[in-house]
Amino acid sequence: MEGAELAGKILSTWLTLVLGFILLPSVFGVSLGISEIYMKILVKTLEWATIRIEKGTPKESILKNSASIGIIQRDESPMEKGLSGLRGRDFELSDVFYFSKKGLEAIVEDEVTQRFSSEELVSWNLLTRTNVNFQYISLRLTMVWVLGVIVRYCVLLPLRVTLAFIGISLLVIGTTLVGQLPDSSLKNWLSELVHLTCCRICVRALSGTIHYHNKQYRPQKGGICVANHTSPIDVLILTTDGCYAMVGQVHGGLMGIIQRAMVKACPHVWFERSEMKDRHLVTKRLKEHIADKKKLPILIFPEGTCINNTSVMMFKKGSFEIGGTIHPVAIKYNPQFGDAFWNSSKYNMVSYLLRMMTSWAIVCDVWYMPPMTREEGEDAVQFANRVKSAIAIQGGRQITWGGGDGGLKRAKVKDIFKEEQQKNYSKMIVGNGSLS
Amino acid sequence: MGAAHSASEEVRELEGKTGFSSDQIEQLHRRFKQLSGDQPTIRKENFNNVPDLELNPIRSKIVRAFFDNRNLRKGPSGLADEINFEDFLTIMSYFRPIDTTMDEEQVELSRKEKLRFLFHMYDSDSDGRITLEEYRNVVEELLSGNPHIEKESARSIADGAMMEAASVCMGQMEPDQVYEGITFEDFLKIWQGIDIETKMHVRFLNMETMALCH
Repeated sequence: MEGAELAGKILSTWLTLVLGFILLPSVFGVSLGISEIYMKILVKTLEWATIRIEKGTPKESILKNSASIGIIQRDESPMEKGLSGLRGRDFELSDVFYFSKKGLEAIVEDEVTQRFSSEELVSWNLLTRTNVNFQYISLRLTMVWVLGVIVRYCVLLPLRVTLAFIGISLLVIGTTLVGQLPDSSLKNWLSELVHLTCCRICVRALSGTIHYHNKQYRPQKGGICVANHTSPIDVLILTTDGCYAMVGQVHGGLMGIIQRAMVKACPHVWFERSEMKDRHLVTKRLKEHIADKKKLPILIFPEGTCINNTSVMMFKKGSFEIGGTIHPVAIKYNPQFGDAFWNSSKYNMVSYLLRMMTSWAIVCDVWYMPPMTREEGEDAVQFANRVKSAIAIQGGRQITWGGGDGGLKRAKVKDIFKEEQQKNYSKMIVGNGSLS
Repeated sequence: MGAAHSASEEVRELEGKTGFSSDQIEQLHRRFKQLSGDQPTIRKENFNNVPDLELNPIRSKIVRAFFDNRNLRKGPSGLADEINFEDFLTIMSYFRPIDTTMDEEQVELSRKEKLRFLFHMYDSDSDGRITLEEYRNVVEELLSGNPHIEKESARSIADGAMMEAASVCMGQMEPDQVYEGITFEDFLKIWQGIDIETKMHVRFLNMETMALCH
């Protein structure tokens, strides 16, 4: 029975290694520095690969990558300037020029659609999914790539799957156990410990390296934390550094089990699907939650739909009507090591997770920002826009007031924007006084 | 890249017909496929997928222009049901900037083509004249959606503009003379001497210049 014994020995050494190097440090929040070394090696290898490509490919293929930026130079001048050139009378045929041009620009290049495709990298990170023009360049490069595939699928993937499994089961078991205790500060402390440990394990399951900036502004109890939403693992990234109360819909299956277990240890706000439709009910429950200063800050992602890493789409104003102090947080992923973007119409959850676990690493930065409150005379929409600009500026992104209400899935523009533009236009014509 | 080799002849043909470079054609082809959902032709409904277009007041006229047989050079009137990539490029070519290296005759021709495109947008029944009704229709569409503008204001704007056009084209009118509508020659007369080139072009970027600012 040598085979079985050998297998047993390997498995037990494997588990002890995992326990020693990963699990225990997560409990204490200590890092052993293994990830840093890993990242350094990775960066060196990728730099080498990029240099090889640039030497090898003819000029044209590099152009293809940068061409995704845009094909036309849009005329960004505001409407007044565009129309004023030929204006001499109250109304000119020329206005049709301006709008036809704008219309054609929209047809050739739609900003909203562009935003929804993954950022394409100019250098290659040895993942074929990011290289549109994968060509044979040199034997050495291909060998390194093959080696990379082997490392990712055979070494990293099993490790990560194990970790994820351990992380989730610990979370469920831990929170259920803690839930049995009576309410006390011990319970709170324990539940925090359990949450943090399991999140750290899960983050390591994705080989995530996260840098937190401005920790002094971390969201306090009784506040609302607002962040931009790029991928489903945003939640994981934020909860690794602090405990939040989550808001969301009750799911079935594995998610449902996790949700029910978490609620036992500390109060989260989960809604039934039918309740989500009733905005007043939702607002009321959230208000009650933040009124209690002992409860953890709520975590909200107002966008509700994933967005490519370069722009922040319109925030839904409903989240800002609740009141209270808003703590904005900006999350930005570094696409060099692994693209966290989830195009839900293209990939389902399982294949997305698989992609995540077979990337090199997920690197991101989190910036905490000073708290904001709604000022006198500011309505929810203006407040939402203010918060959104702050987050976008922090993350170094272009702000767009784009047409869509988030998502290719529902690309209908709210009428309010159409009306705004037409009001502007007609004010120019009519508002200038006389109509002959 | 592999499949494109047999199609490069087509690309060259399109280059000659429409004046776009092969890189631009390739980019536009990608956009065409995006709009058409990987089908070989586009129908009117496909333009509903362009969210930015919804902000445009004359959206329906622009979309219509893509299917107008006069713009596609397929006939004197009527609308096509669907257009293929070559038709798409033909319409796009109306918006190419006027090449300053061309001689005067070419420049004049280019300008005429652009104005003709615009004329077709106004003249919806293809009878060769922009009547008062058609003009009013355009003004109303431009001002539509704003609840504060009454229909009357839109009409008076259109009437005023029409009268102005009549005075430019017909001079002093006899008491019984009726101004039927703006013909294409009148249209050209109105625009004589005014520089429309900068207003009616979309600057398509040249791919080579982009690589230099790496």
